[in-house]
Amino acid sequence: MAKEYVKFVDVTKCDGCKACMVACKNWNDLPVEETAFQGSAQSHPKTTADTWNVLQYIEHENAGGGLDYLFRHSSCFHCTDAACEKVCPENAISYTDFGSVVIDQDKCVGCGYCVQNCPFEVISLKEYKDKNGKEYRKAHKCTMCTDRLEEGLQPACVTTCHTGAMEFGDKEAMIRKAEKRVQEIKGRYPNAQVYNPQGVGGTHTVYVLAEKPSVYGLPENPKVPTSAVAWKDYAQPIGKMMLGATTMALVGAFVTNKLFNKEGKEQDGGGSNE
Amino acid sequence: MSKQAQKPVAKVRRFPKAFVWAHAINGISFFALYITALPMYTEFFDWLYPVFGGPANARLLHRIFAVTFVTPTLILLIFSPKFLILWLKELITWKKRDLEFFSSFVKELFGFKFKHIKQTFFNAGEKINSILQMFCAILVICSGFTMWFPQFFPRALVQWGYFFHNVGFALGIAVIVGHIYLSVIHKNSRPGYSGVITGEVPARWAKDHYTEWYEEEVKKGNFPDLDDPKHKKGA
Repeated sequence: MAKEYVKFVDVTKCDGCKACMVACKNWNDLPVEETAFQGSAQSHPKTTADTWNVLQYIEHENAGGGLDYLFRHSSCFHCTDAACEKVCPENAISYTDFGSVVIDQDKCVGCGYCVQNCPFEVISLKEYKDKNGKEYRKAHKCTMCTDRLEEGLQPACVTTCHTGAMEFGDKEAMIRKAEKRVQEIKGRYPNAQVYNPQGVGGTHTVYVLAEKPSVYGLPENPKVPTSAVAWKDYAQPIGKMMLGATTMALVGAFVTNKLFNKEGKEQDGGGSNE
Repeated sequence: MSKQAQKPVAKVRRFPKAFVWAHAINGISFFALYITALPMYTEFFDWLYPVFGGPANARLLHRIFAVTFVTPTLILLIFSPKFLILWLKELITWKKRDLEFFSSFVKELFGFKFKHIKQTFFNAGEKINSILQMFCAILVICSGFTMWFPQFFPRALVQWGYFFHNVGFALGIAVIVGHIYLSVIHKNSRPGYSGVITGEVPARWAKDHYTEWYEEEVKKGNFPDLDDPKHKKGA
């Protein structure tokens, strides 16, 4: 049994160099995507099927009226209670022993349920063409470099980070570090906080944010959508039970008809209506 | 029908052609939709993916049948609005006899002795079936739009769409199983099956099952009066 790990991202130490993006593309063999100018140094609007982490650049007016240029390495949060895993109809999404959440590309059917239900909107579908020209889709997102973890390595983005804004290690230790760091920076960033949302059972990418989550476009209280719980925990099992129940009732009806109504004579209709 | 029945058995028109078509398209589309999405519902049916030519193809088929699933309403609206109105009127008319129907129906379903309760064009059970199917169809069609075109809808609506789609088809199939059993297997109501395919049913059966409707049509001069001694002797 492997240990549960957390990727700790301290955005206040990030200098926006984008090496994490390059390292990710490099290790995971992800192709270049052409994008339009975003109005800042940011390269992509958000994560895509071929860009699993995006460095955010946010110009923020702080409480004192000054400008804060905020950076954030954004990628999959690897939720403890992952909505994508819940809604996947093919069990293609699973938790690893490390705490990461991964998509099995062989099982994925490209339905996009995970894309629509991720509270952080980090999953995307990629269009492929097979050798007969037929199109199909697969869902992609950051894997926390689970293939590297299995070999005792750290995620590519963490390894490459030159300012120490990212660290990878034991879950409890990382969370303690994050909490301690928030105390250190409160003077400069009064709104600083640890972002490890409990609505999704905590995450395996834990942030120290300089500002409120909404400043970074993050949900303040992300959770597995109520609709997903109602759908997967109630509607689906109850629906299957209902079909079973009506079918059993009809089998019962068929049997009792054979038992009590042996003559096969109609009790109504032309037969007995004299 | 029984031996004593006259030959040829007098038949009366129960459904207009437009309804026969609408019903058939609705039924076939429903099952095509159910089967093309079944592997998404239960992994037990994952072997259906290769049958449909892969998940992407199954999705395409599901969307084609989604379109045909919507057409029956339009067919009725264009070719037989009168029947549609009669149908809807029946669905909102509930009287004591409708409630009495159910206790009698349970006896009939399990093969015990029962008495017919006078019913109008549709009996109370058929009305419940219609209401549930319409409700399910509305759920499934509306949520189908949000699932097919998520880019045009708010995210929360798309997410609830999955839930309502599931509720709609799950309730729908549970009811349809009974609907089909009664028409294809259950012997007393079996003439209803050929009735919904040809549009015609045996007059005697219609009179027994939908007495009020039958008598009304007799008054209008549309149907033969089976109690008329002249008619009883046979044509």
